[in-house]
Amino acid sequence: MVIVENGYIPADLAEALKIRGEQTVIPYAGGTDLMVDAEDHAYLFLNKVPELKRISEDETYLKIGAAATFTEILNYPGTPEILKAAIHYLAAPAIRNMATAGGNVSNASPKADSSLIFYVSDTLLKLASAKGERILPIEDFITGRGKTALQADELLVEFLMPKKGLENYYYEKVGARKALAISRVAFAGLFNMEGERITRCAAAFGSVADVVLRFRDFEAMMIGLTLPEAKAVKSEFLAKYDQAIVPIRGRVSADYRKHVCMNLLEDFLTQNGI
Amino acid sequence: MDLINQSVKKWDHDPKISGAAKYVDDLRIKDMVHGKILRSTIASGTIKEIRIPTLPEGYLIVDQHDIPGKNNVHIVDDDSPCYSDGTVNFVGEAILMVVGEDMKVLDKILSEIVVVYEEHTPVLDMMKSDVIFYQYGYTKGDPDQAFQEADQILDETFTTGYQEHIYMEVQGMIGFYKDGKSTVRGSMQCPYYVHSAVKMVMGLPDQQVQIIQDEMGGAFGGKEDYPSILGAQVAVAAKKAGRPVKCVLDRREDITCTSKRHPATMHYRAAIKDKKITAIDAYAVYDCGAFTTLSKVVLQRGLIGATGVYTFDNIRVNGKGVRTNTTPNGAFRGFGGPQTFFAIEMFMNHIARAIGKDPFELKQQYLSKKGDITATNGLYHFDIPFPEMIEKLFKESGYPEKYQQYKHQTGRTRKGIGLSLTYHGCGFTGAGERDLIKGVVRLKKNYNDTVEILTAGTDMGQGLKTAFVKIVAQTLGVPMHQIIIANPDTDRVPNSGPTAASRSLMVVGKLLERAAVKLKDIWVSEEEQEVEEHYVHPEFTIPWDTENFQGDPYPDNSWSANVVEVEIDTLTGVADIVGAWGVYDVGTPVDKMIVIGQMEGGLLQAVGYGSMELMDANNKGVIRNNSLSDYIIPTAMDVPVLKTDVINNPYVVGPFGGKGAGELPAVGGAPAYVAAMESALGIDLHHTPFSQEDTLKALEAMKK
Repeated sequence: MVIVENGYIPADLAEALKIRGEQTVIPYAGGTDLMVDAEDHAYLFLNKVPELKRISEDETYLKIGAAATFTEILNYPGTPEILKAAIHYLAAPAIRNMATAGGNVSNASPKADSSLIFYVSDTLLKLASAKGERILPIEDFITGRGKTALQADELLVEFLMPKKGLENYYYEKVGARKALAISRVAFAGLFNMEGERITRCAAAFGSVADVVLRFRDFEAMMIGLTLPEAKAVKSEFLAKYDQAIVPIRGRVSADYRKHVCMNLLEDFLTQNGI
Repeated sequence: MDLINQSVKKWDHDPKISGAAKYVDDLRIKDMVHGKILRSTIASGTIKEIRIPTLPEGYLIVDQHDIPGKNNVHIVDDDSPCYSDGTVNFVGEAILMVVGEDMKVLDKILSEIVVVYEEHTPVLDMMKSDVIFYQYGYTKGDPDQAFQEADQILDETFTTGYQEHIYMEVQGMIGFYKDGKSTVRGSMQCPYYVHSAVKMVMGLPDQQVQIIQDEMGGAFGGKEDYPSILGAQVAVAAKKAGRPVKCVLDRREDITCTSKRHPATMHYRAAIKDKKITAIDAYAVYDCGAFTTLSKVVLQRGLIGATGVYTFDNIRVNGKGVRTNTTPNGAFRGFGGPQTFFAIEMFMNHIARAIGKDPFELKQQYLSKKGDITATNGLYHFDIPFPEMIEKLFKESGYPEKYQQYKHQTGRTRKGIGLSLTYHGCGFTGAGERDLIKGVVRLKKNYNDTVEILTAGTDMGQGLKTAFVKIVAQTLGVPMHQIIIANPDTDRVPNSGPTAASRSLMVVGKLLERAAVKLKDIWVSEEEQEVEEHYVHPEFTIPWDTENFQGDPYPDNSWSANVVEVEIDTLTGVADIVGAWGVYDVGTPVDKMIVIGQMEGGLLQAVGYGSMELMDANNKGVIRNNSLSDYIIPTAMDVPVLKTDVINNPYVVGPFGGKGAGELPAVGGAPAYVAAMESALGIDLHHTPFSQEDTLKALEAMKK
């Protein structure tokens, strides 16, 4: 471990968790957000911790280390297209070379480009402390705008992204421009069928509320239906979302956000034959 | 093309690319302290009391009471105060400066100062202002009769929004005071403007004021007037502190309190008879903000260009610049032109559709040509090369075919293509060059036969040094490395005028060419020699009457033809820019690559003005988009295909045939973009910026 003027550079995860448990430190991965408002504070520099940089996969999961940069994720052969699509419009290459998925998600912004993909794909997050590990769905990790379930002695260690059924995706980001743009509305969808029956009709909405929105009970309406049956409930399905999505107002109006969400959701269904 | 076109390595390339160039923020000077400005948080009010905390040793407050001369910053008129006179007139107005060594301590002091205001109701809407700063108008022919005899009258209102410069380097200055002399250095376009401002505020004679320009990281007009204000503020602070005082603005502060492009509301009427335009009546209101700064000349230029590149027999143009409790607006590349050119270009498209014509055909029918009488009863003295430019543009962009093809589209994405034709008058309006500026340049030949160029011209990245060196070297017939050019210092250079109004190459470059010819005539090797040249007004022009707006406002114009193609997503309102093309006449391009660089950057900036550059204020007059993540300018990703070209149309009076170039590309991008959106949507549009949200709204309205 190296101790520097403004914090600690641990050599491995065990060292990192030890410091995290003993000191008041700000976890620092890529620094692309922290450096904008650098403070006089002790940082825990995680960008060289090998366990946190690792990207690997087993039969079920793509495992992304929390301090892997977006460029590293983009270049990993097993990264699914839906995640690549979102990374392609995340900031710009120079920032993607430094910024990490762990940082993007831990900021707990409803506008985080990678969070949206982790929401729609039911990604799990592995947290660790010197005392042990726990695994949470992203919906339970992000508890509000800028708030997470991360404890003072814990670090976000890894993303476990289920690999199955990611091929048929729908993704759209509306930013104010084509690069270096914070999303104004983002939508991601995953649609799967087994035989004639729908097994997944997942839809996630970014930048419209305090957290990324996903409505599992509405999605359940579609599960097990055939396409003709799904068509029959399409308007009811859309009406539920129309009622449930109450966008925030910001640089664009709530009305605009709502229209875009509904247009994209409807197009997502149409594209999948509903 | 000639030798002069051939591109050379830019004079400032190496220091800027290597990082060796020192900008004002990089300068560390012995004993220097920093200044931070306390600014008004309300848009209109009177200051009842300012409570200052106990200051640590070495820290001090500078305000209006410390001003040795007048609390008026000379720009065109003198109404801008240096520090608040006890009233505040917009959010961001400077009240006082806190000066000391440690920036963090300065921030802490600023946060502890309490200002007690008596708040007044601010005027934030230009249409509700009853304070008129300037008002002008002119008439050609008999518009009243034409409107009486019209069989159709079209009547439309156009609005254009703010545009913020977003120069890479924010505003910054350092003030010095020693032995009764004020020196100010920093980022500025016009050293002699700052000179006259500092002189008045410090109450000093000419020779006791020295202004030095440092390397400048972009300006776009934004460093024409504001450096006079900041320069005066640091000059006062340096005298009180007895040490050099540096003040570099923070980006949010810079966006909040420095000048922007004037928002405008423009009401246009057209008289139509037998499908012909028989008269145009235009009325423009420009939002000046709280003080006049450069609004007088911005408004004049806007009104002169109100009928665009077209010749009509009957015209009436009126306009006013009004006061609001918002940040004072000033110069921005295009200088009043982009507003009215947007209006007339869109209006011509709408007239065409209303009378069942193709917009380009209608434009072509009224396109000005050599020998035509201008809107202000001047004369187009020279060839207007639109036919050649348009041919080139259409070949590159495929405009005519695409325009037909993109009618009546359905489906998720729809394409659109738009055209604009514009000009920019070169140099100062009217007789400004002759009566006000009276530019002077000098060439100083050293013993070793190197020649130093002495002008007040500033390089903000546009290539001025390179162009001047090329002109002098080629005229003298010596290699470029024998020429010396430094950033101007008013103790050393004569007043060749401001670096503004697309005048530097055409006017100052011409003076340098003449000076070089003179020097060549008397050249004696290994001898120190000096020549001086003074401005001579071109004799062919019809004298400009400022009162009545009659005559030739500019000796010549630069011309542009622009096409933008878009593809809109009907689900999101997002418009992808498929391509942007521009063909320009800047006379003979003095260094073609620099000119193309300027045209590309300018066109991109203008497309931003038409599409995404949205700035608004809340109902208290606080600008919301005061950061780079909130005020969106286009990136290279937004206009992947950006092609510009120039034609060679030498201007007889210009150096090597060159004329104004810098501002030209900023004029036509927005109308071409919005015309493309009209083509994709199939409706008439009336404002900039035309946003994603506007697009979706228009599409939703069509569904109903």
